Amino acid sequence: MDQLILALEECDFVNEPVCVPGDVADLFVFPNIVGQVNRTVFLIFLAAAIVIALLYFAFRRPSLVPTKFQAAIESLVGVVRNDIAVGIIGPDGIKYFPYLLSIFLFILVGNLFEITPLVNFPITSRMAIPLFLALVTWAIFLVVGIRKQGLKYFGELLWPPGVPTGLKPLVGVIEFVSTILVRPFSLAVRLFANLVAGHVMLSLLLVTGWIFISNLVTNYGEIGLKGIAGFAWFGLGLGIWVFELLVAILQAYIFTLLSAVYIESSIHPAH
Amino acid sequence: MLNVILAAEESEGGGGADLLLPATPELIAGIIAFGIVFFFIWRWAVPAINKSLEERQRAIGGQLQEAEKTKAEADGLLADYRAQIAEAKAKQNEMIDEARAEAEQVKADIIAKANAEAEQILARARHDADAERSRVLVDARSDVANLSIDLAERVVGGSLDRDMQLGLVERYIQDLER
Repeated sequence: MDQLILALEECDFVNEPVCVPGDVADLFVFPNIVGQVNRTVFLIFLAAAIVIALLYFAFRRPSLVPTKFQAAIESLVGVVRNDIAVGIIGPDGIKYFPYLLSIFLFILVGNLFEITPLVNFPITSRMAIPLFLALVTWAIFLVVGIRKQGLKYFGELLWPPGVPTGLKPLVGVIEFVSTILVRPFSLAVRLFANLVAGHVMLSLLLVTGWIFISNLVTNYGEIGLKGIAGFAWFGLGLGIWVFELLVAILQAYIFTLLSAVYIESSIHPAH
Repeated sequence: MLNVILAAEESEGGGGADLLLPATPELIAGIIAFGIVFFFIWRWAVPAINKSLEERQRAIGGQLQEAEKTKAEADGLLADYRAQIAEAKAKQNEMIDEARAEAEQVKADIIAKANAEAEQILARARHDADAERSRVLVDARSDVANLSIDLAERVVGGSLDRDMQLGLVERYIQDLER
């Protein structure tokens, strides 16, 4: 937040309706603290630690009648296990449950950093995390496809049943590009873009609101009654904050769900 | 794909396009952090979750079995009680019927006995009456004979052979009775 305010401190609050940083990267790239370690790297490890802590404290001494905390974590785990792993992939899906639970919780915590006070930065808005996770999913569904069906898998993948022979070259190219080349990037970009957009909106609205309101008090001569607009920006920011809570949960769910759908399509090629 | 993005970045002269590329330190941190999360979940969390679910399943299963057992026992007891009640009712009805039959029998015996006694009393009375009547007849007959002889003696003025006359009177009365 401090860095954001620094990035926006040269805000032309007299002439501009909203404070915009000179370079949008200022909202996403943090200076290094030690060596190559910046705030984002620290937050990535913090997300991992939070996931581990949540699971550890929920299942350290599980009781038959769960506490509220255990029940809450169990319901999250249950969604991934029953609705995604077994629900989408089938009974075989239980093998992929550890991976699906890992990506769901890691992305969920990373997304929720966006709306966590004092953190205010989703690690999934940095391409490294969505791209890495999407590539892992991509590798898994290709490996699973080859292991289950051998090289025939690529035939099934490129030419779905019922494609006329004349169209096979064209369909093959389209399927190759859409399934093998684009799929990991579409998976990554869906998550990345949602979180980037959310972070930009929240930062600009809340920081602009804050700057306008504080200048209304300290620099009334310059900003005049326009400073009241700061309340509107701040209020809108808080509204979007609630909306972003939904986006954070939904995007984690969608990423996990699509990973399961891709793995399922490699196991059961008929679909 | 990366080349396309890189080309785009070059043409735009950096800035925003940088955001589309993964930063190496963040990528390495992501790989390590996710690796740790996955290892922890795979080796510790999932077995713990499965254990917890199995224990709960077992506990609920055990409780259900216990409840079923208790219900079966309760059903057995209920059936026993019902059978006992039915048996008691049957026995009660039997006893009532027996008592009724006995009462009927006693009643019939009493009536029969009373009838027999009444018959006996009647017969005895009839017998006594007959005997009395015979005795009165004999007495009357003797009195009539004596009176007749006394009268005849007075009329004839002498004594008559009493035994012979008595025999005559007796024969006469007998003729009259015939």
